[in-house]
Amino acid sequence: MLTLQTWIVHVLFIFFTTESVGELLEPCGYIKPESPVVQLGSNFTAVCVLKEKCMDYFHVNASYIFWKTNHLTVPKEQYTTINKTASSVTFTDTSSLNTQLTCNIRTFGQIDQNVYGIRIISGLPPEKPKNLSCIVNEGKKMMCQWDPGRETYLETNFTLKSEWATEKFADCKTKRDTPTSCTVDYSPVYFVNTEVWVEAENALGKVTSDHINFDPVDKVKPNPPHNLSVSNSEELSSILKLTWINSSIQDFIRLKYNIQYRTRDSSVWNQIPPEDTASTRSSFTVQDLKPFTEYVFRIRCMKEDGKGFWSDWSEEASGITYEDRPSKAPSFWYKIEPSHTHGYRSVQLIWKTLPPFEANGKILDYEVTLTRWKSRLQNYTVNETKWTVNITNDRYIATLTVRNLVGKSDAAVLTIPAYDFKATRPVRDLKAFPKDNMLWVEWTAPNESVNKYILEWCVLSDKSPCIPDWQQEDGLVHRTYLRGNLAESKCYLITVTPVFADGPGSPESIKAYLKQAPPSKGPTVRTKKVGKNEAVLEWDQLPVDVQNGFIRNYTIFYRTIIGNETAVNVDSSHTEYTLSSLTSDTLYMVRMAAYTDEGGKDGPEFTFTTPKFAQGEIEAIVVPVCLAFLLTTLLGVLFCFNKRDLIKKHIWPNVPDPSKSHIAQWSPHTPPRHNFNSKDQMYSDGNFTDVSVVEIEAANDKKPFPEDLKSLDLFKKEKISTEGHSSGIGGSSCMSSSRPSISSSDENESAQNTSGTVQYSTVVHSGYRHQVPSVQVFSRSESTQPLLDSEERPEDLQLVENTESSAGSFPRQQYFKQNCSQRDTSPDISHFERSKQVSSVNEEDFVRLKQQMSDISKPFEAGQMKMFQEISVADAFGPHTDGLVEGFETVGMEAAVDEGMPKSYLPQTVRRGGYMPQ
Amino acid sequence: MKVLAAGVVPLLLVLHWKHGAGTPLPITPVNATCATRHPCHSNLMNQIRNQLAQLNGSANALFILYYTAQGEPFPNNLDKLCGPNVTDFPPFHANGTEKTRLVELYRIIAYLGASLGNITRDQKVLNPNALSLHSKLNATADILRGLLSNVLCRLCNKYHVAHVDVAYGPDTSGKDVFQKKKLGCQLLGKYKQVIAVVAQAF
Repeated sequence: MLTLQTWIVHVLFIFFTTESVGELLEPCGYIKPESPVVQLGSNFTAVCVLKEKCMDYFHVNASYIFWKTNHLTVPKEQYTTINKTASSVTFTDTSSLNTQLTCNIRTFGQIDQNVYGIRIISGLPPEKPKNLSCIVNEGKKMMCQWDPGRETYLETNFTLKSEWATEKFADCKTKRDTPTSCTVDYSPVYFVNTEVWVEAENALGKVTSDHINFDPVDKVKPNPPHNLSVSNSEELSSILKLTWINSSIQDFIRLKYNIQYRTRDSSVWNQIPPEDTASTRSSFTVQDLKPFTEYVFRIRCMKEDGKGFWSDWSEEASGITYEDRPSKAPSFWYKIEPSHTHGYRSVQLIWKTLPPFEANGKILDYEVTLTRWKSRLQNYTVNETKWTVNITNDRYIATLTVRNLVGKSDAAVLTIPAYDFKATRPVRDLKAFPKDNMLWVEWTAPNESVNKYILEWCVLSDKSPCIPDWQQEDGLVHRTYLRGNLAESKCYLITVTPVFADGPGSPESIKAYLKQAPPSKGPTVRTKKVGKNEAVLEWDQLPVDVQNGFIRNYTIFYRTIIGNETAVNVDSSHTEYTLSSLTSDTLYMVRMAAYTDEGGKDGPEFTFTTPKFAQGEIEAIVVPVCLAFLLTTLLGVLFCFNKRDLIKKHIWPNVPDPSKSHIAQWSPHTPPRHNFNSKDQMYSDGNFTDVSVVEIEAANDKKPFPEDLKSLDLFKKEKISTEGHSSGIGGSSCMSSSRPSISSSDENESAQNTSGTVQYSTVVHSGYRHQVPSVQVFSRSESTQPLLDSEERPEDLQLVENTESSAGSFPRQQYFKQNCSQRDTSPDISHFERSKQVSSVNEEDFVRLKQQMSDISKPFEAGQMKMFQEISVADAFGPHTDGLVEGFETVGMEAAVDEGMPKSYLPQTVRRGGYMPQ
Repeated sequence: MKVLAAGVVPLLLVLHWKHGAGTPLPITPVNATCATRHPCHSNLMNQIRNQLAQLNGSANALFILYYTAQGEPFPNNLDKLCGPNVTDFPPFHANGTEKTRLVELYRIIAYLGASLGNITRDQKVLNPNALSLHSKLNATADILRGLLSNVLCRLCNKYHVAHVDVAYGPDTSGKDVFQKKKLGCQLLGKYKQVIAVVAQAF
């Protein structure tokens, strides 16, 4: 009871729930048609009908309806309000395959409410199936296929229907994956006409193909014959007999056959004439085959009247025809090999193995006969394809036959000429060219009748020797191809030798390639000579192994780093080329490519630089310059030589040796000019080149001017004060060198006055002529040796300092200063004024003195400057102690003083006059 | 049991006869007109000859296959067990007119068709593994169906014969195994004998 109540409650719950949901899901209207399938391109009209209840609820009518397709509102022009509750929409030329169409209303003026929706499926009705055909595979059921026509975009069913005149068979429904064919489920019955057609049907229509009516036996594809076998005949080497078993269909239909055969190594099938196999049979004899050749056969069949289909090919079967005697003599040739036996030659007879189609069986051996001229025949049996024999230098005739199981071939005859035979009559116009992937050789036959031609060829290589292969051609042939295993990109040397009845003719050779290719390596270019504007390039011919073809030309590419590349074509016969119009002093990069008929290959790049000057250009500049310099020098030397006295006078005046002076010979009355010779004699051991003597005429004025005297007096005092003081050489000689001329003592004053210039002076501590001098004597020297250390001893320096300290009272100090320093010139002026005063006696001499002075002073000015620069540098760079600096300064002082020395010569000269002995 | 039907009833019966049927189909109302589904082919006689040749070519093989499949004592007692002792087999007169021969042929085919149906049914039970025999029986029955269709077409088209009296062989369904085998063997022996004559006649 409780169970019953529970069950009732459940039922009621479900009922009310369903009712309420139904109320909620109930649409406001509906669209007609519900599930339309529309033909593409046709018109379609849908009607939306609103329910009264909905219209009242939403206060709408059919005019509120609007349509949407795929969520896009349809233009109102396509709407039609049929009545208060129904509105229709019309689409013309529907092109969309699958369209969602919804009917909508706008409630309360703004809310769009979907009323109903449908999906419009578009497509095309099926086309009439075409090309219906059927096939009956023997032992299987009939299968028909057809062309379904255009795409319908709809699910289309194809049904194959078939019937006899008295009976209908079950329909054959196509499977989804094979909609264009169908295999019936009943066994075919032959000799009863069957009518077959196809029905194609989809939502838009049904169409039927044309009916075909046929006897299934006319659509049969038989099973191929099986158990095909081949047998030969010992009687006939050219036939093979085929036997096979036909398929069971031959029990009630007649068959015809196709029989095909080929040799084992061929891929091309030959066919027995169809008319020979146009009837049912189970065997066939194939004729006109080659002896001892393996043939492969296959067979197929079909209904004799040609209706139906050919069966598949049977499995292949093969058989070998029986042997026959060799049909041709083998190719026969010889090679002469050097022999060490005098009067004999070693001859290697060579021949080719007959190809199977000529051997006609298994070759057992070869029989060679050798006949010397007018001598008996010798027989030899050889198993190989060559035979070497020593023969005399006479003419021989060799024959060769080949033997198999059935018999012997014809004999090949070869004449081996005598040793001294001179071959002539070569072939003419020998050509070799590739064609159809074969290397063809063509020639013009000699005028005489040729028995045969021997073609020999080998690969030319730098690495391996030429190993020739050969072949024989009939005497009537003048064009053939090389039947060896030729390789591409290899250079073949081909030789054609005609063979006459009396022996071989003269061979002719030619080179050829089966197929050319670009060189595998480019030529390596280098410079042979590089000029300012040209470069001679040279290269080696490419080795034949890398040529890969005939080198037709070279191309030289050269460029600068920034310039464009220039290409020059060069004939292949050249091995050097001159690049002209190059820019000097430029880096050039050059490479070279070699070209065959098939392309080129670049070689490595080579770099060279053109020189700045052409060869000889430098010499052309330098040599004239050198010559000019040399000439100038020579002229200068000549000039100097001519003027040597004058030059010597100004540069290296002879300095009289005071030690050899004779004061006694000084005579105030000696005439200034004509006494010169006597002076010269007097100083014969000296090298005076010139002596300037300033003579002061004492006769006119026996007493010197008071100023002169005064100055003389001062000089004397200076001399006294400076006696014993050392003077340096060079820089330090400024003072010291002047001393002898200035500090002339009574004894040597006159001697010193005879010298024009003094470069160096040395303090001589010894006395004159071994006498102990009471005072220090200065002796002149031309040495340029630097000062000795002893000459720079502190005591000397001290003396100098003392001298300097006391020099302020001496005009001489000013005199030296003005000569050693350029900064203070006023004393010099005064000096000259004084000199002028002194020398005013003789204006002529004075002028000469000035010239000497200017000549001498010039080089020393430079030396003076230099010395000051050195000092200043030393001062600037040396981290010297004060003492050292002082030392340098001291030396510098001395140098400064000393460098002024040459200038001091002039006053000496001036003073000479002033020192005129009184 | 021997069933003899006359008039056009057997005609339609044969038209709706399916191979393998154990018994002839029930008699149905007959339309006496010669209506075919589509026009008959003009080469009917040639097809009939080929069909007879086809049947004749396979009849002996079928006979051998049958008695071989039945096992002893059939192969060694063919004369006793498989002799063509079918007394009610429709007659055939090779020297008759074409129409007569076609009518007689029609009866023979109808008889054979029904009998082969019985044999096929029995052999599927008695020798279920004799697939080759089953296949051969089915193929022969198919050829007979085709032959019957051609003969009917020929009779209708040329001789306007709309019905032919036919007789069927005994129903073997109630017999024992040996009898079934024996009746089958006798029928196939008879079939081999008759079909050779008929094939020769056309």
